[in-house]
Amino acid sequence: MKKIPYENILLFKSCLVNVEYPGVESSTRYIFDKLGVEYRVDPDQSCCTGLGYYYDLFDQLSTTALAVRNFYLARRSGHENITTLCSTCYAIMKKTIKLLNSNENARQEVNDILKKAGLSHMQYQAGDLSSENNIFHVVEVFYSLKEQIAKKIKVDLSGIRIASHHACHYCKVYPEDSITPFRNPMVLDELASSCGAQVVDWYDFKKATCGAGFSQRFANRDLSLSATSDKLLALEGETDILLHMCPNCQMQLDRYQPVLEKELGRKLNLVHLNIAQLSALAMGADPYKIAGIQTHSVPVEGLLDKIKVHTNLE
Amino acid sequence: MSTTQSKLEKNHPLSKDQEDTRNPEKVGVFLCRCGGNISHTVDMAKLKDSIQAEFVGEFENLCSLDCRRHIREEIIERDLDRVVIAACSPITHLKTFQNYADLLNPYMVEMVNIREQCSWVHSDSEKATKKAIELTQAGVEKVKKALALDKIIRQTEKSAAVFGGGISGITAALSLANQGVKTCIIEKNPTIGGNMVKIGKVFSPEKLAEECSLCILNPIINEVINHKNIRILTKTNLLRAGRRSTHFKIILEKETGFVHEDLCIACGRCVEVCPVDVPDEWNQKMTTRKAIYKPFSQAVPDVYTIDLENCIRCGKCEKVCTMGAINFNLKSEVIPLKAGNVIIATGHESFDLNKRPEYGYHRFVDVISQMDLARILGVNGPTQGELLKISDGKRPDRVVMVQCTGSRDEKDDGKRYCSKVCCMVALKHASIIRERFPETEVVICYTDMRTVGMYENYLRYVQDKGIKLIRGRPGEVSKKDDKLLVRVEDTLERKPLEIETDMVVLSEAIEPSPSTMRIAQKFNVGLSQDLFIKEKHSKIKPVNTDMERVFVCGTAQGPKDITDSVSQANAAAAKVSEQIKNGTEAEPPVAVIKTSRCNLCGKCMDICGFKAVYRDEENMAVDPMACRGCGACAGLCPQEAIEIKGINDLELYAQIKGLLSDKKEKEIRILAFLDNVGYTAADTIGNNRLCYPEAIRIIKIPSINRIMPHHLMYAFEHGADGVLMAEYPDECMLEAHKAKIKELNESVKNQGIPSDRLRFYKAYAPHYRGLAQQFTRFFEDIAASN
Repeated sequence: MKKIPYENILLFKSCLVNVEYPGVESSTRYIFDKLGVEYRVDPDQSCCTGLGYYYDLFDQLSTTALAVRNFYLARRSGHENITTLCSTCYAIMKKTIKLLNSNENARQEVNDILKKAGLSHMQYQAGDLSSENNIFHVVEVFYSLKEQIAKKIKVDLSGIRIASHHACHYCKVYPEDSITPFRNPMVLDELASSCGAQVVDWYDFKKATCGAGFSQRFANRDLSLSATSDKLLALEGETDILLHMCPNCQMQLDRYQPVLEKELGRKLNLVHLNIAQLSALAMGADPYKIAGIQTHSVPVEGLLDKIKVHTNLE
Repeated sequence: MSTTQSKLEKNHPLSKDQEDTRNPEKVGVFLCRCGGNISHTVDMAKLKDSIQAEFVGEFENLCSLDCRRHIREEIIERDLDRVVIAACSPITHLKTFQNYADLLNPYMVEMVNIREQCSWVHSDSEKATKKAIELTQAGVEKVKKALALDKIIRQTEKSAAVFGGGISGITAALSLANQGVKTCIIEKNPTIGGNMVKIGKVFSPEKLAEECSLCILNPIINEVINHKNIRILTKTNLLRAGRRSTHFKIILEKETGFVHEDLCIACGRCVEVCPVDVPDEWNQKMTTRKAIYKPFSQAVPDVYTIDLENCIRCGKCEKVCTMGAINFNLKSEVIPLKAGNVIIATGHESFDLNKRPEYGYHRFVDVISQMDLARILGVNGPTQGELLKISDGKRPDRVVMVQCTGSRDEKDDGKRYCSKVCCMVALKHASIIRERFPETEVVICYTDMRTVGMYENYLRYVQDKGIKLIRGRPGEVSKKDDKLLVRVEDTLERKPLEIETDMVVLSEAIEPSPSTMRIAQKFNVGLSQDLFIKEKHSKIKPVNTDMERVFVCGTAQGPKDITDSVSQANAAAAKVSEQIKNGTEAEPPVAVIKTSRCNLCGKCMDICGFKAVYRDEENMAVDPMACRGCGACAGLCPQEAIEIKGINDLELYAQIKGLLSDKKEKEIRILAFLDNVGYTAADTIGNNRLCYPEAIRIIKIPSINRIMPHHLMYAFEHGADGVLMAEYPDECMLEAHKAKIKELNESVKNQGIPSDRLRFYKAYAPHYRGLAQQFTRFFEDIAASN
């Protein structure tokens, strides 16, 4: 397995996390703090452009230029282990570094833009960062610390069944970098086990997409929704939680589950949590103040009752 | 070795340290007019008068039988001890003239090529004549330094070790044994027969039928058991292999099965009392066997064996054995074996279907592999040949086959290659199912149906039995109620399908087996990119590996069916037989290691792409059959312990000096060192009567690796204006070439010689025009800069 860092981590903010599920970031910080992981969140950081990029609204040049700016911030603060909350940020930045290191013209073009903008100090030279050694997903840090996480679990999850949904942008864009076999990724499953939950080994459509497909969600709504419902229906009655590692997938499945339920005329009895939210809850974090479950479309309260977690939020 | 040769060798115990302490050499020069081919351009009278030698004679057609007499007579009458033939290319006629002059050692015959390299490529008679004189005189000087050498004959031990007792190994062993070669089959399993005994039926495209594999194989196996020249060692693994000049020293370990093979009468009483149940590999673990077992009823050798891993040592079998054949104190046995040749026929393994979790091989009982299905369809299998589901013992209404499981897959954990047999295997099973269980439907999801040649007839034959073919690679196998669901895109109709079925059969890829890799490593045999055994050259040296006297056949070399495996096995046996019957003759140049000087550093072994150098028990040694005499090792040896027999330094110096002699002021001379391919290209330039400057003087060498910096310096000091080195870029010596080119370039630079005076050129036999252009351009560049 590749070497996973525990310090000099730039916890890379994600637009979808902050807008849709801010509890994912606060849960991650909570876990990092409990485990003694040294990290920084940079207030100057800009978006990875991933959403715009995959909507075909942003081109590779602006994506690369913006990434170079973020890489500069990482280097400036000595936090070069860029660790993402979102799998799209992860793939976008891996791609950008590979491009910058291997394509002199692209590098030149971006550096020229920075020079013109009076930002020469941000320029990127080949090899400043590497796709393999500088870009990580938060789940990888969790995974390498899963024994420590297991020791800090305070909530009994043994009665809870958990199925995993691994993000395409984590295991299908750069399969060679995935820390568990990319055809059958087990990162989330093993982490759920460390939290003491029962893991649903395999389910129908396990490897299928969440259905979001960026613009597909709007351009091909029926197709997008049918993929989402395939997944949800396959899990009906099979699991209590579908575990996520990507805010976009979580958004697709959590926000559209009520839509599907309305169509079906029944509840699916299944909630969505990011692995950071689940671990934080299991470690005793407050469900609202830390895990931020109030932003979810499918209410998580029923699950909290089951696992006997209560808020001290009054 | 002829007596003449040995006499001559005794008369001339030469070495380069001892030159000129003996009587002057008596060189006879024979000039050929070549029916005008030479004499129309070269002034023969002037040539004859200009050569200084014991004898100079001129003949019309030197290669004619008539001239054989002349050459012999002159040798005897004038007591000549060396001969120069100034005629055509040695590639065409050196053997002829060595034969005409067979009173002398063949290495005392030097050919000077005044046809392809002079009369055919130069039109100015005066210049051509001058060049012919210089070429011939250089030949005289060179042959004076020649040393008598013998051909090296190695008689390979008349025996063979065949690793692997599957159809390939059995076929090869039987062929060798029938030719009188003592052959030992080494098999790691308790029985020989390999995969062929398991698969039940084989496809026969020419008969449009399926035949019983055991019925075909059994007579062959019986022949093997009873053959006086075959020894079978089962449950045996290779521990070590050592290379010697005429054989391999092989150390094997025969695992004990706690049963005396010669006492066991295979009555089977032991099985009745054994309390341990173990999943049975023979039935793909769909049934169980006991810890004491015989893999299948016709197993060879026909004895029981104990599976040490699972046996609980209760001793019940020992008590019921009336023959006293069972003994728990039996130990594994180490067996030394001396074998002249080795055939690797260790077969393949099947792709691990767990690596495709989306197909659910281990989640759903009725998702099976083609080998599982072969066992199910086998009359000696878990269902006695009835097509039944493992889950509930019912007949499936539909069977869906998934082709290319693991094959033709470019992702990291897939195989990029096509496994070659799976289309036919799927069709064979589809054919059997449609024939015997017509109520069951068969759907094959394929990437491409690869049924080349006659196999296409078989495809049509099976299609006529009513099967459904869908072009598409399934994405997932799932379960819905009690049915399996195969999700696939029909890429011809461009629509996604969900096929409900009762049984899914995955066509597993053929993979290289780890035990093949281990054997390859122990024999220092090279592997292909896909980790099968690599053939020396797939076109002209199939079944040879890159190691002398080690051959390969069957799926150890790559995916193939039984038909191809059997042909390849026979080819491997033929190659072994060739080695054994005639011995092998190696002709110099070859490298020879002076063991007294060698300090065993091993650099020679590392550089040799022909794997000719090896370490025997205490010395480094060169296998003359594998050695090409290229000289890479000699140039590298820090102890100067390696000599290249066949083209010694004194000969080289004499030829270089000779070709540069009588150089006029402002005249340009370029030495061209050409390997065999380069030399052939130069001959072709002549055959096509292309012209190049007279300044070009060609020296034939085994390889540029033979040329050391001191040879180059000698050439430049003696008046060479340029040196061209042309060689065919042989893949296995590319690294050595690069190092050599670097070394020579640096030496030229250190001497202050302009870098463009040493040139390298990649020679290709058909691209002779390129070489001619290279000659001309080099000359023009030098003329321009002078």
